[in-house]
Amino acid sequence: MKHLPILDACALSIFMQSAVDARGIVKVYEGKVRALAGVDLQVGSENVFALLGPNGSGKTTLMRILTTQMPPTEGRALVMGHDTVRGGAGIRRIVGYVPQEMSVWTDITGYENMLIYAKIYGIPCESRRRLINEALDGIGLSEVADKLVRSYSGGMIRRLEIASALLISPKILFLDEPTIGLDPMARKVVWEKLSSFKREFGTTVFFNTHYMDEADLYADEIGIISRGRIIRTGTVAELKRSVGGDVLLLELEPGGIGSPLLERLRAVESVKGVALGESELRVIADDAETALPGVMRLLDGSGILVRKVSMSAPTLDDVFLKYAGTRLESNSRIADIAKVRQTIRRG
Amino acid sequence: MTPLRDVVVMVELELRRIRHDRAELYTRAVQPVLWLVVFGPVMGALRAIPTGGIPYTDFITPGIIVQSMAFISIFFGLTVIWERESGILKKLLVTPLPRSSIVIGRSMSSGVRSTFQMLIIVPIAMLIGVRIIPNPLYFLGALAIIFLASGGFAAISVFIASIMKSRERFMGIGQAIIMPLFFASNALYPVEMMPPILKALSSVNPLSYIVDAVRSLLITGDLAQLPMDIVAIAIFDIAMFIIASISFKRIIK
Ligand SMILES: Nc1ncnc2c1ncn2[C@@H]1O[C@H](COP(=O)(O)OP(=O)(O)OP(=O)(O)O)[C@@H](O)[C@H]1O
Ligand SMILES: [Mg+2]
Repeated sequence: MKHLPILDACALSIFMQSAVDARGIVKVYEGKVRALAGVDLQVGSENVFALLGPNGSGKTTLMRILTTQMPPTEGRALVMGHDTVRGGAGIRRIVGYVPQEMSVWTDITGYENMLIYAKIYGIPCESRRRLINEALDGIGLSEVADKLVRSYSGGMIRRLEIASALLISPKILFLDEPTIGLDPMARKVVWEKLSSFKREFGTTVFFNTHYMDEADLYADEIGIISRGRIIRTGTVAELKRSVGGDVLLLELEPGGIGSPLLERLRAVESVKGVALGESELRVIADDAETALPGVMRLLDGSGILVRKVSMSAPTLDDVFLKYAGTRLESNSRIADIAKVRQTIRRG
Repeated sequence: MTPLRDVVVMVELELRRIRHDRAELYTRAVQPVLWLVVFGPVMGALRAIPTGGIPYTDFITPGIIVQSMAFISIFFGLTVIWERESGILKKLLVTPLPRSSIVIGRSMSSGVRSTFQMLIIVPIAMLIGVRIIPNPLYFLGALAIIFLASGGFAAISVFIASIMKSRERFMGIGQAIIMPLFFASNALYPVEMMPPILKALSSVNPLSYIVDAVRSLLITGDLAQLPMDIVAIAIFDIAMFIIASISFKRIIK
């Protein structure tokens, strides 16, 4: 069976169904930094796919390879059936892209930004004006269309970038942290627009994010990336189920837990992961009832007061904790990125 | 025809930016105007430089226009560095624009600024008595020369931007390239006056050809050398575009 050519054709047809099909992608920067260490990833067509990962895990690098900005050091990837290296031109005609950093000219108006891109894509003169106005209107920017982008808020800039990525009705959208720095209302507006756009055009959406709730709410499928490797993919429900067990939430008196104690907690029978928050300890366990006595004994022995114990269903954060061994959310990081964007805006 | 269309879009972008912020055009004009109104008359009064009967300020007007063009273009790399630090360049790379069009288009954008600069300098020169040949076709020709030559210098700056990552160093390198080219050219004195080594250097100095072309169109009206100047400028532009396109890969890494 293995040698029948028909199998190759089958394999090929599976290829064709994937919007993204990456095999063994390795990326080494300047011969030193190994940003991607063998990424295998398939994203179904017309799906919304979220790539979740901590700072420096390689999300942006993978997206830049998939959007044909640079070749991988090893491996190959297909996007909508086109090879990212040899078929780059074919991909660039059908993809919309919003980079992580700000990507609009700030010294012209929002409308003019859209106009320049419309001309770059060769959108015919007759439909340009209508398409641009529709796109700006749909994302709530028509009132500021004729103002200089310099006067926009961070959220308005992000929406303008998304509007310009939607201008050509792309078959696939790549969004690198699309709602970074947006307030909850603006995030909602953006996702409503993206969802309705996806319904109308059957666009595949591939986005990087660190907002777990965003992945939870809007992604059909999630990939977890850590240290340059995709360690798990699946639907949100599948991933949560796969945590397989319980999450114990222990509310503590502030202070006093050091990393040696965390290590010892991890060694407790049935415990699979431990993460420390401001004043709470999350313990993922195969079986909470088995784990609890051991955990309590250790905390008592170290003189740490437990105020309250509760159980909860696994969240995406727990999924992340289980497979990547670290927490995902970190407020300092969000602040960092907001700062970077700010500096770049000032130019 | 698409490459031409791409360049036209980039030129339009630059025109729109200028329309929203004209202040930079004026501040950049200060330096060339000082050359015109101070350096020109003072040196002219010395009568130390044989210019073949042309008043000295008239003689150096083309050189000053070209110098201002070269500075504007060489500092255009700063815009490219900014576009790399923000996401603009990344986004452009993911559009159907070929990479060569991005390089040439961004370079020719500086041509827009240079021609506007010339439109400011020439009337001021005329005000202080410089006699410009009153032929609109010649004038348009000179504008076209400045526009095209600007692209070559902007391409050099894209190349520098690919090596220099910081703005401060960039400024230093830019000065260090333009000033020697300027003084080793026929901008301030005729080539015949130069010592033999400088004379030889001047014959491979793109600035000399550009100055010669602009001078023949604006001041002397003697077009004998013009075809050769245009060929030299075209070679210069093409060579610089090729170098910039190759180095562009480093910028986007
Ligand atoms: N142009 C570059 N040159 C050298 N190293 C790089 C470059 N870009 C990224 N890296 C390194 O590659 C690794 C992966 O970076 P990448 O930007 O892909 O991560 P990320 O998941 O997008 O992170 P973040 O959440 O901060 O955006 C990091 O260690 C980073 O320092
Ligand atoms: Mg990133």
